[in-house]
Amino acid sequence: MSDPVITVDDVGIEFYRSRKRKLSIREMVLKGTDTSSKDTFWALRNISFDVGEGEAVGLVGPNGTGKSTLLKVIAGVLIPDEGQATINGGVAPLIELTGGFLGELTARENIYLTGGLHGLTKEQIDERFDDIVDFAGPQVRAGLNMPFRHFSSGMQSRLGFAVITSLDEPVILVDEALAVGDQAFRNKCYGRMEELLSAGRTLFLVSHSPADLKRFCTRGIYLSGGRLVADGPMDEVSDRYAADQKKA
Amino acid sequence: MTRLQAILDRRAILEILVRRDLRVRYARSILGYLWTIIDPLAMALIYFMIFVVIFKRSDAGHTPYFLFLIVGLLVWQWFSASITETGRALIMEQKLVRSTNLPREMWIIRVVIAKGIEFLLSLPILVVFTAWYVMGGEAHLNWRLLLFPVAVVQQFLMLVGFGLILAPVTVLVDDTTRVVRIIMRMMFYVTPIIYVIERAPDWLQTIFMFNPLAGLLEFYRAGFFEVPINWAAVAVSWVMTFGLIGFGLHLFGRLERAVLKEI
Repeated sequence: MSDPVITVDDVGIEFYRSRKRKLSIREMVLKGTDTSSKDTFWALRNISFDVGEGEAVGLVGPNGTGKSTLLKVIAGVLIPDEGQATINGGVAPLIELTGGFLGELTARENIYLTGGLHGLTKEQIDERFDDIVDFAGPQVRAGLNMPFRHFSSGMQSRLGFAVITSLDEPVILVDEALAVGDQAFRNKCYGRMEELLSAGRTLFLVSHSPADLKRFCTRGIYLSGGRLVADGPMDEVSDRYAADQKKA
Repeated sequence: MTRLQAILDRRAILEILVRRDLRVRYARSILGYLWTIIDPLAMALIYFMIFVVIFKRSDAGHTPYFLFLIVGLLVWQWFSASITETGRALIMEQKLVRSTNLPREMWIIRVVIAKGIEFLLSLPILVVFTAWYVMGGEAHLNWRLLLFPVAVVQQFLMLVGFGLILAPVTVLVDDTTRVVRIIMRMMFYVTPIIYVIERAPDWLQTIFMFNPLAGLLEFYRAGFFEVPINWAAVAVSWVMTFGLIGFGLHLFGRLERAVLKEI
């Protein structure tokens, strides 16, 4: 294996259990104490693994075990409290598909904005513009000069997927994003993912669909309760997870 | 320092964000630009009416008093708009902050730059009134006008410092916005915008000196009025500017983890 692209070294991240943990000046003044809860839990702890270039890793585990949190740590949008995650190169995060888009700007402006935020120059976007719009579909093309918020949520996700997957980043993080759109669009997404994989990109996929996982991934990582339970060939990890699910 | 380098490397992205801000503000209507000018003009007119027409105290500031007001109010507009907006900088853009791993100081810097460009765009009013008073023989420009751009740089640094403190605190502590709003209202009156420091009683003058805006305004106004510069206020102001930047960077780094979990 060549140098790892993703190195996760003993990562741990601690969250507050209560939703309402914001400090309130009013409460501090009235009661003289900070009444917010100090009750915390580790969403992830002692997670370590390396991912090599071109590997396709599937992340499985029950709901609420830190899969999305781990993806965010790798994407650099959460900072771990313990250990560190280092990425050799940039990341194309298919996490919040429409995260970089702004409702009041047109679809066209949004493509340039999101592409720019992820480091593409204007010329690079000019080149890819048609591909992006083609991929997103004819409805998106028809509405290019329409404010983005007038798009249906399906169209918004399509455009998001199209922009992010046209980035040059060596690592692609996918958080259940394949579940967007209708069957036809999903097939298109599958096609795009396979293209990216065969171009040597590294893929990190969170999914609850065994079929998707086995289709793309060669290696599986199984998280449960914020701990790493298994790390091995996708088939084995997926079977073990399925067996655990039946028991529960 | 590596953070600074990382931000400099992403100048292009900063430019995209600032352009977007300005487009959202100005693209919709021509009035968008007019508001930038009307607001300080209306304020200047109000204070002119109160102090000069009603109280007959045109000696509250330098002469001509209207020009004195304009400089102060334009500077204040940049200051107050930046403080209000940087406080919300991370919350307003939480979707963007959550989906990109840019150095997060950029979300604050971009607000200060956008508001700073609005300030520069409002300067034509200052030019017009200066020309008017100079031609009327009531005002005389001097070489200290060179201090004006220095003050712009200083104000930028100061505002970034304030923003780096306010933005994470607003995310973590409820009611920060309300408290800031009240403090800003008081700030306006303890800042020598509608009067000069020297008009205040001695004991108050000492307190006013510790307002970083006092020294800043000394530089802004020096080129327009033939009065000595209050160097003590200027020194305090520069020390505080660097203090704010240093403390801001430190605090932002400390709170960044918690903020990211919260938004």
